[in-house]
Amino acid sequence: MAPFEVHRTAEGTTLMVRGSLDINSAPALSEEIDKIVATRPGKVVVDLSQLDLIDSSGVAALVKLYKGVRNTGGALAITGARDQPLAIFKLLRMDKVFNL
Amino acid sequence: MAPPIRLSVPGTLRYRPIAVRVVAEAARLVSYAPPLDPQDPTLDPLALEVRHPFDTAVVSAFMEIFNNIAIHAYQRRGGGTIDLEITLTSDAIVIEVKDSGRAFDLDNVVPLPADLDEDALPEGGMGIHIAKTMLDDMTYEPGPPNLWRLYKRMPAAQVAVGRS
Repeated sequence: MAPFEVHRTAEGTTLMVRGSLDINSAPALSEEIDKIVATRPGKVVVDLSQLDLIDSSGVAALVKLYKGVRNTGGALAITGARDQPLAIFKLLRMDKVFNL
Repeated sequence: MAPPIRLSVPGTLRYRPIAVRVVAEAARLVSYAPPLDPQDPTLDPLALEVRHPFDTAVVSAFMEIFNNIAIHAYQRRGGGTIDLEITLTSDAIVIEVKDSGRAFDLDNVVPLPADLDEDALPEGGMGIHIAKTMLDDMTYEPGPPNLWRLYKRMPAAQVAVGRS
């Protein structure tokens, strides 16, 4: 199963991330993020309900997406973060920014 | 005390999942986190189970240190090994990580900004902060070999819950 999937609808873009988002998988996601931002999506939802592990490289990729979407006038929401990924967002005090 | 667990992997990111899995399983020997249900057909039997707060802290910190060594010490080119020695007690884990790459200047790591608002979200420099914050103690001695020592102790309340 692919580590991430992008679904585009009239309502917005959903990015589903699975498994481990880390220094090995983040570069591929970063390329996908560039494509998402290039479409100037109004609304992006990142679904982390199936994400088991994240490291600082994975967090950086999601921050890049957040900034890219905001800079093009859109809004980003992160949903479903749990366990280790949620602990990392809390440690970095990003849970409030992302409303986790 | 049981003899330490030892593992040596090439110092590239390709071998990171092997080292992370070993560390995760070692942490579970301390946390007594329940294993995945082998009867659940929806679960991947090879999935890495990192849910207990102790396991979360140990694995999160170790992943960042491995990244640091592969990127900074070995400059993403490998050329040496990353050697682990994991010592377990009834309520703590000590992970010594050695490499023969370039020394790292831990004192020059820029701390994260105190006020982290939407405009100040960092896109880098978070790894050492994650490792230090997750652990009870972390030391680094430049070498050769360079030596990282990661220490995490189970809070007493979690020890009681894990073994009840």
